[in-house]
Amino acid sequence: MTLVLILFFVFLLAGMPVAFAIGIAGFAFFLQESYLPLTMPVQLILSETQAFALLAIPMFVFAGNLMNETGITKRLMEFASVLTGHMHGGIAQVSVVLSTLMGGVSGSAIADASMQSRILGPSMTARGYARGYSAAVNGFTGLITIAIPPSIGLVLYGSIGEVSVGRLLAGGMVPGLLMALAFGTTVSITARKKGYMPEREKRAPAKDVGRTFMSSIWAMLFPIFLLVTLRGGLLVPSEAGAMAAVYAVVVGALIYREMDWKGFWRATKASVGDTGTIMLLIALSALVSYAIKWEMIPQTLSGFLLGISDNPTVITAVILLFLLFFGMFMDSTVMILLLTSILVPVIKTLGINPVFFGVVMVLSCAIGLLTPPVGISMYSVCSIMECSVGEYLREGWPFLVAVLLVVVLLVLFPQLVLFLPNLLFG
Amino acid sequence: FAAKYTLRFNHVLGPNHPYHAGLEKWAERVKERTNGELEILVFHSAQLGVEEDILEQMRQGVPVGQNTDSARMGNYIPEIAVMNAPYFVDSIEEVIKVNDLPVVQEWKQRLADEFGFQVLSIQWVQGFRHFMTNKPISKPADLAGQRIRTAPAPIWQESVRALGATPIAMNFGEMYTAIQQGAIEGAELVYDNIFDQSLHEVLDYVNETGHFLLINFEVISAQWFKSLPEEYQKILVEECDRAGLEVSYQIQENTEALKKRVAEAGMTIHTDIDIAAFKEAGLAAYEKMGLLEVRDMIYEQLGKVN
Amino acid sequence: MDFLKKAYKFIIEWEERLAGITLVASVLVVMAGAVGRIIGYPLGWSMDMATFLFAWTVFFAADAAWRDNKHVSLDILVRLLPKRAQLIVHMCNHVIIGIFLALLIRYGISMSWITRFRTYQGIPGFSYTWATITVPIGSTLLLITAVLKLRDLIAEYRAARADTVDPKQSIQG
Ligand code: NA
Ligand code: NA
Repeated sequence: MTLVLILFFVFLLAGMPVAFAIGIAGFAFFLQESYLPLTMPVQLILSETQAFALLAIPMFVFAGNLMNETGITKRLMEFASVLTGHMHGGIAQVSVVLSTLMGGVSGSAIADASMQSRILGPSMTARGYARGYSAAVNGFTGLITIAIPPSIGLVLYGSIGEVSVGRLLAGGMVPGLLMALAFGTTVSITARKKGYMPEREKRAPAKDVGRTFMSSIWAMLFPIFLLVTLRGGLLVPSEAGAMAAVYAVVVGALIYREMDWKGFWRATKASVGDTGTIMLLIALSALVSYAIKWEMIPQTLSGFLLGISDNPTVITAVILLFLLFFGMFMDSTVMILLLTSILVPVIKTLGINPVFFGVVMVLSCAIGLLTPPVGISMYSVCSIMECSVGEYLREGWPFLVAVLLVVVLLVLFPQLVLFLPNLLFG
Repeated sequence: FAAKYTLRFNHVLGPNHPYHAGLEKWAERVKERTNGELEILVFHSAQLGVEEDILEQMRQGVPVGQNTDSARMGNYIPEIAVMNAPYFVDSIEEVIKVNDLPVVQEWKQRLADEFGFQVLSIQWVQGFRHFMTNKPISKPADLAGQRIRTAPAPIWQESVRALGATPIAMNFGEMYTAIQQGAIEGAELVYDNIFDQSLHEVLDYVNETGHFLLINFEVISAQWFKSLPEEYQKILVEECDRAGLEVSYQIQENTEALKKRVAEAGMTIHTDIDIAAFKEAGLAAYEKMGLLEVRDMIYEQLGKVN
Repeated sequence: MDFLKKAYKFIIEWEERLAGITLVASVLVVMAGAVGRIIGYPLGWSMDMATFLFAWTVFFAADAAWRDNKHVSLDILVRLLPKRAQLIVHMCNHVIIGIFLALLIRYGISMSWITRFRTYQGIPGFSYTWATITVPIGSTLLLITAVLKLRDLIAEYRAARADTVDPKQSIQG
């Protein structure tokens, strides 16, 4: 197992694609344990593709890409700017609201951050916003997307940890809105200080709000549609994902009439790319996951954590600090893939609710996407905004503080996470 | 210090199921009798992987084991599925007798020689399965149009269909919400499952059809088994049978107490059932799966009248 | 050589298409399964058919994504090295990945043979081997990509070396 870890980090730092780094390191475990045949890695890799629950991931990704082809983004943007144009730091507020609204369509923080840096970034720079500030706003608000359903991270956690995905998705809703509130407040304070002026003097007329609201309602209904179909087991998450894809086609082709065969194929191609990257990572990490179980590491860790304290809040805090620390160096998907099967049994013995824990765990892992030295979202927004990491950090630290405060709030009041799933699922 | 031989044993049930304690007991006794040389690590909740994958690993000599059932073994020797057909046996004592039959010994031998599965014990009995629904079921016709959750293997599906219901394959954990939402009308289960899944909240009736007495198989890799000293092989089998019978009787005893709790929780235990009619209907499953002949042969060897 | 080039072009064109088609097909199968169950006509085969199709999606898509350089990697450390050292590290990576894929092909073929009697539970008579072979086939596609990437890296390395010797002879671009 030590060899596996060493190889993983060596390959990772040598710039090998993460999926191969983890796959080859895991393969080494089977070379090392002579009684395990080398056909087993093949079997384990394949098994990941044969888990019906994991199909929810490509389905949600596909639905999101199809939704993008309906021209929904520009409608949502219009609505967001009508809502927030009169506030200080108007476009930055648009980014907050847009991430919240897009959250129901996209399940990836990285995609959301880079997309909004591209579409909002140039106008922010033109209005005199510091590049680092725009990078930070677009980057951090992407985190809202992973909490509001659908969420790839929560589907992964639920499938691996055998926790109800429906409850997890519902559990992400309130934290997502809390983050929107926290980031909105942060923008208000920082924009006033920096003198980023509102876009217009007064609130937009109710008529405009109504019109833009109606024109983007189909995207906003999307997460609600998901939760309603998942509620009470009418559909399982993979089926809800398939229905969502069909929903997007119906909205695009029949309601907005903007989707044609070309657009459909573009969405399919984009989904093939997304599925290929995430599924190769998931499939190849099965080898290390197996090694972890074979060596009974969760059982050992459980004993260790119980030795620290038996207070659920303390243990949750310890685990989250650990996740935040490792998140600085590791990819969030890899962390969810490897750590869920270790941590879920542990927190269950400690009486920590696995739905609550899933939401805070996935969020904590994702914060690492925005922090140096290794943060994919951070690098992508910085490269799009053409700013240095130093500049990004100087402007962006209030947003980091805001999201950490949200995590602290959730840990202290787990009901914020559990309220909605309990209401919907009983 | 590490044991000389280590077996990793996987099962799909939760850590609180009596089977888990039973398997741990088995592991403990084997370790004791082999002076710590042979260690069994038990993995609950299918932590080591899905059943089919584990079975394939066994065939390749990986030191793993799995709690499985006759329906699964029926994929390799189709006749074995008969043990999972409606009303095949009536009691744990009968299971013990079945275990000693020459034909069953022959199946075990074939599973080891041809497929690489060493069956350690078939004396792990989970108890009678009953239809649990929201209306009283007295005869097969009452099940018409009722969508009933069952396991996906063909013999399960055909049996539930033969008994009059529409079989639905669905994950165990999804049952509660599926019933609540009306995606299915009920399930066929043992008493243990009711509180485990809080089904008393969504279902009104336990109809004591007792259509299956669920026999489990404890299977490990034959190749690895053969690599053990003969003495250890004997210990492994003896202790597995012993722990299995203990658990089976314990579950049987617990059922009486459970019934009381189920009734207190508001479910009606419906016992006015035309078992003869269900037995008659169940024959269709034997016919469909081509298992009538083997059933008659076993009944003859048992001296059992149907 | 010309034939090989054409064959490869054909493969990469169809690889993405097949990944897309199997993805769309699994969406439809999953939806049919859900609708069927709700209206009381459950399809026993829908879950297994969906995951079977998905196995093909995954391996075709994984290769298509690698050819587009979409797989995430961490190169902040490698970038600190001089250009030629960077290229050597990348070449090593691709050789190691190549060996790994070759092993997956070798043992994937064995595994496909072993699973030939295993059938999908919900689709009686349909061999699991049709899913198992996605591993050796997908690994073959990935291996081709690895070899081609390695070839490009070697060419780049040579060019970089030529660069340092005589800048005029550079063939980069
Ligand atoms: Na944003
Ligand atoms: Na989302």
